Amino acid sequence: MKTDIKLAWRNLWRNKRRTLIAISSIIFSVLLASWMRSMQEGSYDSMIGNVVKFYSGYLQVQDTAYWEERTLENSMEVPPELKQQIKGIKDVTLVSDRLESFALAANHQHSKPAMVLGIEPEAEDQITAISKKIKEGEFLKTGDNSVVLGRELANFLGLSVGDTLVMIGQGYHGVSANGLFPVKGIIKHPNQDFDKRLVLMDINAARDFYSAYGLSTALVVMTGDHYQVNHLKTDIGNLLSPKNTVLTWAEMQPEIEQLIQSDRGSGIIMLGILYLVIAFGMFSVIMMMVKERRREFGVIHAVGMRKRKMAVVVLFETLFIGIIGCSVGLIVSYLFCLWFYFHPIPLTGEMATATIQYGMEPFMFFSIQPSLFYNQMILVFFISLFIAIFPVISIFRLKITSALRA
Amino acid sequence: MKIIEIKNLKKTYEDNSIPVHAVNGVSLSIEEGEFTAIVGPSGSGKTTLLNIIGGLDDASEGTVTINGVEINRLSSRKLTDFRMNNIGFVFQAYNLIPVFTAKENVEFVMHLQGAKKEHREARATELLKAVGLGEMMDRRPSKLSGGQQQRVAVARALASKPKFVLADEPTANLDSKSTENLLDIMEQLNKEEKITFIFSTHDQRVVNKARRVVTLEDGKIKSDITKS
Repeated sequence: MKTDIKLAWRNLWRNKRRTLIAISSIIFSVLLASWMRSMQEGSYDSMIGNVVKFYSGYLQVQDTAYWEERTLENSMEVPPELKQQIKGIKDVTLVSDRLESFALAANHQHSKPAMVLGIEPEAEDQITAISKKIKEGEFLKTGDNSVVLGRELANFLGLSVGDTLVMIGQGYHGVSANGLFPVKGIIKHPNQDFDKRLVLMDINAARDFYSAYGLSTALVVMTGDHYQVNHLKTDIGNLLSPKNTVLTWAEMQPEIEQLIQSDRGSGIIMLGILYLVIAFGMFSVIMMMVKERRREFGVIHAVGMRKRKMAVVVLFETLFIGIIGCSVGLIVSYLFCLWFYFHPIPLTGEMATATIQYGMEPFMFFSIQPSLFYNQMILVFFISLFIAIFPVISIFRLKITSALRA
Repeated sequence: MKIIEIKNLKKTYEDNSIPVHAVNGVSLSIEEGEFTAIVGPSGSGKTTLLNIIGGLDDASEGTVTINGVEINRLSSRKLTDFRMNNIGFVFQAYNLIPVFTAKENVEFVMHLQGAKKEHREARATELLKAVGLGEMMDRRPSKLSGGQQQRVAVARALASKPKFVLADEPTANLDSKSTENLLDIMEQLNKEEKITFIFSTHDQRVVNKARRVVTLEDGKIKSDITKS
């Protein structure tokens, strides 16, 4: 085996320039593939980060019936110790109660159905950074009995900061809910639908309004990034009673997940084309290396080297090219994408404006998830294994007499 | 002692659908220790005959028996092992492994035989010294002249301690001095080590050194002369 490896290694450097070109092509391919995937996954990370910060959070604990039928009747009591236990789970960064329902929002002339969201103001602000969206007045504080309105809703009702909002609705167990609430602030929510309907208030004020004392419709759980969501779902699920469930952002917003999957699919098709080019490049180099040594193969077979052993040598040669190219490609790609991770590409012009309008940062973000890089490496490694089949076949078909005449 | 026995050997191939009888009913015996030249004009069947004796090509008809083993009946794998252990090859174009040094080239066959490193190194050194290349063992073929490469090829052919050495036009690419040198070495090995050499050649200098000369024409033996 040692001599086979030595022979393969030295054969590799017979034509240094050609081998270096083959290795370089793999390095650049791994780099390009990793860069593409890093940019793609970085944009998904950013999109998911923004989506969860709009409203849902990464995970929500709810009553099992709430997601299908969002009424106060399907709200839940959250024992303080459960909240503490969830906060204690590794990677959980924040836990916040919400009470969500509907009411008719009105002034003296107009009325409109509104989405009433009772929140823990300070915690909610950490989840959605909603105080930054305030356009008039101030954001809520714990214990406030006032409201913050979406700008379009405020415009429709003709309300501004300091005015009074009238709300009429149905509370817990069918009791009537009505109240007058001073408008403390007006936000411009990036989601237009929310902007037209949203009424924010302190969760305790909302509980009083709906007579839903001690109840929540959801417990929003935040973490560092969406890669932690699956294990958190399991960990949190283990703490819950059968009456409660935990939903991930993807379960709550399947259309986002589907959008990502379909975009990822098109990216993978592009990668497939790229890998096809890599495969043909490697194939041509390996076949050239084998074809130009036909006579030599004939000689070493004549003097007693079995074809199987010759095939092993060629296999080693192919693997060496693949391994060197992939390893260097992996290191270069990681460093390259790491730089872009810390220095995302700024967007300009209309694209930047549109991105800002959607409440996102105007940058092209990159991901440095290790799997993005080693997956490329593993793939190229298997491509090189696959390519090795062809020279191996040509060795098994070798006829000594015609090889010696080559 | 007979080491090679060929009986009614025929090799026919088709050239543009026309059958060509490269070897046409050759019967021949080679005794141990012979220094035999197979001569004849181009196309007379010398190389084909040598290839069949060496197990590099199949015969269409007839048998080749080496040391009691009918090689036509061996499977491809067994034939490869048989060649490794019984036959040494010297080719016209040297055909050394270019990425190995002279010593590694000689060691290569012994490595295939599974010989231990110490044994391989000692025998390769001994053989390279015997062919006058003791000082050039660590050079790669590209750093050796044609004559020196062919001497390495002879050392390689002997490394496995074969029953005989087949040399196909070994001097065709060499100048006079290198040819003389190579023939002296092979003659010496033949006399001192009793190694059997069979050459195919056009070279009169090889014919002059040979003690037996088999002349082929149109795939048949025209003459078979043993010098006294």
